[in-house]
Amino acid sequence: MAMHMRRTLLVLRRATCNSLKNSETPLDVRHPIPVLLPLRTKKRCFIPPAVGMKAKKGVDPEAKARAAGIVFRQQYMERPINIACTAGIFDPYVPPEGDARLSTLSKEGLKQRTEQLRQSAASQLAFRKIKEHDSEFSTKNFAERAQEIFTEAHYALTQFNKEKLHSLVTERCYPEMTRGNRYKTIHWRFIESLEPPRVVHARCPDMVSKGNLYGQVTVRMHSKQTLAIYDRFGRLMLGSEEQPKDVLEYLVMERHIVNPYGRWRLHGKIVPSWAPAKDPIVKTVMIPGPDLKPGEEFDALNYEVPKPAAVQWNK
Amino acid sequence: MATAMAGRGLSFIRNIFHSRLQVPGVGPQQLSCVHTTTSLESKHWERRNLKVYPPQLPDEPRRPAEIHHSRRQIKYSKDKMWYLAKMIRGMSIDEAVAQLEFNDKKGAKIMKEVLLEAQEMAVKNHNVEFKSNLYVAESFSSKGMYLKRIRYHGRGMFGIMDKVYCHYFVKLVEGSPPKKEEKTSFDQAKEYVQGLKNRTIIHSL
Repeated sequence: MAMHMRRTLLVLRRATCNSLKNSETPLDVRHPIPVLLPLRTKKRCFIPPAVGMKAKKGVDPEAKARAAGIVFRQQYMERPINIACTAGIFDPYVPPEGDARLSTLSKEGLKQRTEQLRQSAASQLAFRKIKEHDSEFSTKNFAERAQEIFTEAHYALTQFNKEKLHSLVTERCYPEMTRGNRYKTIHWRFIESLEPPRVVHARCPDMVSKGNLYGQVTVRMHSKQTLAIYDRFGRLMLGSEEQPKDVLEYLVMERHIVNPYGRWRLHGKIVPSWAPAKDPIVKTVMIPGPDLKPGEEFDALNYEVPKPAAVQWNK
Repeated sequence: MATAMAGRGLSFIRNIFHSRLQVPGVGPQQLSCVHTTTSLESKHWERRNLKVYPPQLPDEPRRPAEIHHSRRQIKYSKDKMWYLAKMIRGMSIDEAVAQLEFNDKKGAKIMKEVLLEAQEMAVKNHNVEFKSNLYVAESFSSKGMYLKRIRYHGRGMFGIMDKVYCHYFVKLVEGSPPKKEEKTSFDQAKEYVQGLKNRTIIHSL
């Protein structure tokens, strides 16, 4: 640094001056003039760590180990994943139109009722496959059990009991049920069942390898329920506490049949294309308007809000 | 209010507290709650967004929604940020965004981004109906974690240069901004005189 040089030069000059001024010494004797005096700069009490760090050339421990002769076994970066449920509903049940509208006493109603499992051969095959692995399976008891599982799952959702919910509901259905509900309060009540639940459809797909069977059974149930959702601040968002609603639902229950510890769990719901529109939420929502080219104007009076196509979808 | 302190110093204080409290034979469960945590681990301000209130009864007045938002480690001075934060306190959100848009300071641009983010969060996640129906209830800045460098002076002297960072916190509440009561000077003078008149001498005859 320049500082060092100046200081040492000063010292040198002083030293030489002193030596010259000293007239007591004889002229022959040559004293050794100090050429370079080590002089300290001001001591740095604090140096921030970022300044001292220079690019460190990394010592490669792998190369060193190889040189020393140590051999490591090949490390497999693997992680076992257990897939306990399928990703969707295979070959979903298409509910006939006007399912709950017709009363069972009329001719059309009877016809609909008699269009039972007998018709669908694939469902019969699926039931046979399920009964092979699980001898206690019976279509008559299963529907009631399905309704019980459904009720318990929804009560667990109101309490937000994660463990119980995971045991009653598959991994595919869990995020659909709980998305956005973490910081909301849900009050749900199952009042009564208007019609006895019925098994309407079954499929037994196998995933990945041939013998890996998953059973999916669709149950139809018609019931009365109350739902009220409150947001984070306790304000009502949807529904009402007292007003019950008649709900016709098609639940899909799934079980990993090959697994002896598998359980029948709620996998999803089928919403038919002819389902009536749900109640609107309490607050007003902005719908994004049409994309306008520069120069176009938005005509608010004659603008029609585009309605989504009526398609059956799985919830 | 979030307090940011230097990590090294705080862990030292924490050690002192732990050693002092454990000495007089008290069990570990009965330690008094001396809460010392650095701002990096616990973000209290953001956690206020996770508080869930119980459902309101139909006859109660509607509780206004509160949204807490912050941005950490902004490369700006906390003192310079304070001026902007003080400016927008109590304004409605549209007014605040407009003022910050046409302000020349560097912190104004960052603050505007934070406010718009908070507004979007309010509509999406916190069930706020109208995005203009919000006002700035609290807004303040605090010190972030500084980086230290050497600033070289003459004669081998040096100074420690701080690279300053700041945090900015804002709380939006649903509703129209509260009206500030303006007291005239005559009213204030009247109150002062009344205060003087109310003085009594106790234990007197």
